[in-house]
Amino acid sequence: MIEIFEGLATGFAVALTPFNLMLVLIGCFMGTLIGALPGIGPINGVAILLPIAYSLNFPPESALIMLAGIYYGAEFGGRISSILLNVPGDASSVMTTLDGHPMAVRGEAGKALSASAIASFIGGTFAVVLMTLFGPLFSSVAVGFSPANYVALMVFAFACLASLVGSNPTKTLLGALIGLMLATIGIDSNTGVARYTFGIPDFLAGIDFLIVVVGLFGMAELMHLVEQQIKGGIKTLPIDSSFVKMSEIVALRWTLLRSSIIGFIIGVLPGTGASVASAVAYGTEKRLAGPEGAKTFGKGDIRGLVAPESANNAAAGGAMVPMLTLGIPGSGTTAILLGALLMFNIQPGPLLFEQKPEIAWGLIASMYIGNVALLVINLPLVGLFARLLTIPQHFLTPLIAILAFIGIYAIVGNPHDLFLITILGVFGWFLRKLDFSLAPVILGFVLGRLFEDNLRRALSISGGDWAILVEDLTSIAIYVMTILIVVGPIWLSRRASNRAKAD
Amino acid sequence: MADRLFAGFLLIVTLAYAFIAWTIIKAPFQYDPLGPESWPRILAAFAVPCILYIMWRPDAAPFDVNGSTWARLGLMVVILLAYAQLFEPLGYIISTTLFGGIVARTLGAPHKGAWAFGAGMGVGGHLLCVTLMGMNLPLGEIVEAAMEMFKAEQAQ
Repeated sequence: MIEIFEGLATGFAVALTPFNLMLVLIGCFMGTLIGALPGIGPINGVAILLPIAYSLNFPPESALIMLAGIYYGAEFGGRISSILLNVPGDASSVMTTLDGHPMAVRGEAGKALSASAIASFIGGTFAVVLMTLFGPLFSSVAVGFSPANYVALMVFAFACLASLVGSNPTKTLLGALIGLMLATIGIDSNTGVARYTFGIPDFLAGIDFLIVVVGLFGMAELMHLVEQQIKGGIKTLPIDSSFVKMSEIVALRWTLLRSSIIGFIIGVLPGTGASVASAVAYGTEKRLAGPEGAKTFGKGDIRGLVAPESANNAAAGGAMVPMLTLGIPGSGTTAILLGALLMFNIQPGPLLFEQKPEIAWGLIASMYIGNVALLVINLPLVGLFARLLTIPQHFLTPLIAILAFIGIYAIVGNPHDLFLITILGVFGWFLRKLDFSLAPVILGFVLGRLFEDNLRRALSISGGDWAILVEDLTSIAIYVMTILIVVGPIWLSRRASNRAKAD
Repeated sequence: MADRLFAGFLLIVTLAYAFIAWTIIKAPFQYDPLGPESWPRILAAFAVPCILYIMWRPDAAPFDVNGSTWARLGLMVVILLAYAQLFEPLGYIISTTLFGGIVARTLGAPHKGAWAFGAGMGVGGHLLCVTLMGMNLPLGEIVEAAMEMFKAEQAQ
C-alpha cells in the first residue's frame, strides 16, 4: 500500500509540472473536440495527432500524457454528437445514441449531456482508482512471467479479439494475422536476416509504425468521410438549460457502479475496448430493469444513457492496465499508445513501474487530473463543442489530410511516406468496407515482435520442445481462460436463442 | 463477391509470403531451434485457412458504391497523390492552400469559403507549426529559389 502512495507522489510530481499540466488540459480539450466531431472516434483522433505529438520532441512521459488525454477525452466527447445528432463518433458511443438522442428530442438535451458527463467522470475516475490499485499488483505478478507464459498471454489476447470484437471472428483473426505478417517485414533481430524487404533499404528497419497507423486510421477515415459525404450542414438539437439533479445521480449509483466495473473488466481484457464494454453494460442494465425497463429503454431512459457512458470511460482506463503492466494493449487505441511508447524506446511491461516510474505513475496521476478537467471543461463549454459539431464535412475532410501530412512529413521529412499513407488509407478503407475491423490489424502489428521473440525464446529454453508452452500452471490457467472466452459467448448466445424460441 | 475477390487477393499475397518463408528466408547459421523462417511459416499456416473460410462463406454486404461515389473517391486519391507529389517542390504553404481549396471546393464548399479555408490552413498552419512549435515542414523549392533571387537583387 505504501508503495502505491509513493508511486502516486512520484506521479503527481510529474503530472503537476506546469508543462505537463498544460498538456493534460490540451489533450483533454482536443480529445473532447475530436470525440464530439461526428464520425471521428478516439482511435482516429489519436492516430492523426500521434505523429505531430512525436515530432514536437517532447519527453516520452509528456507525449504519453497528452495522447492519453486525447484518448479518454475523446471517449468523453463522443457522447455529444451521439446525443445531439444521433450520429455516434465511433463504435463505443453507438449505445449512447439509443437513449441519449430520444432524451434530447424530448427537450432534455441539457439533462442528458450533464448526466452523461457526470457518468463519464465517475466511470473514468473509478477506472483510474482501480488502475492505481491493480497496476502495481499486475506488474508484480507479471514480473515472474516466462516467455512461455507470454506466448499464452498473446494467444489469450488474440482469442479475446476474435471472440468479442467485430461480427465475424474469422475476419477479426485474419485482420490480426495481417498485422502480424506486416510486422515480420524487416531485419530479424535474432539472426540479422532480412525478411520480405525485397532489397528496398527503407524496409530494412521494418515498416514505420506511424505510417501504418496514420494510413490505416487517419487516411482510411478520410476516404470513409468522402464516401459517406453528407451534403450541407448538419442540424443539431438545441441545448436547453435543464440540468441533471444530484438526487437523480444518487438514485443511479448502482447502475453507475455496475457499469463502471463491467467497463473496467472488459477494458482490461486484451484487445477489447470501449465499444464492447458499452454494449455489455447497456445490455446488462436493460436486462436488470426487467419487463418495465424494456418499455422505457431506447425511448430516453436515463439509465440507458449513463450505463454505456460510464462503461466506455471505465474501459478506456482499464485498457491502460495491461498496456502498462504486460505490454499487451487492452484496446485498439492503447495499441497505438503502446506503439508510441516503443517509438520512444520504452518497452512497457512488468518492469515499467520500477524502472520508469515517471511514465507509469505520471500517466496515472495525469488521468486523475484529466478526469476532473474533463468534467470542468464539459459542463460549461458543452455549447461550444456543440457548435463545433456543425463544422461542415467539406472542411473536416481536407483538415484530416493536412494534419496527417504535416505529422508524417515533420518526422522524417521523406515525401515517399506521404504516398505510402495514401495507399495504406485506400487499403484500410477496403478492409473497413468489407467488415474487417482495423483495430486487430494494429494490435497484431504492435504485438508481432513480442509474440515471435517470446515464442523463439521459449523454444530456445526447452531446446526445441514445444511442450514447454503448456508445461507450467500459469500457462495452463491462461489457456483455460482462453477456452472460456472463446466458448462462453457462443454458449450464451445459444442459450439466449433457445430461450427466445421457448418464449 | 467483393469479399471473395479481396480474399482471393489476400490468398495470392499470403501464398507468396509462405513461398518466401519456405524457400528464401534462411539464416546462415543459428543456435536456436526456431530460425527467422519459422514464425512467418506459422502465420501463413494460420492465415490460409482463414482466407479459405472467407472465400467459402463470404458475408460482407454487397459493395454498394455507385458510380459517382467511385468517381469522387478516385478523384480524392488523385488529389491526395498530387498533394504528396507537390508537397516538397511547392512547399507547405502553397501546396496546402491549393489542396485545401480544391478539396473543399469539390466537396461542395462555396468558392470564397473554400479558398479562405485553404489559405488559412496554409499560412496559419505554417505559422503555428514552424514558427511557434519549430516543426519541420518544407518551405518549397520555388519559394527558396524566389528568395535567393530576391536576396541576390538586394545584394547588387
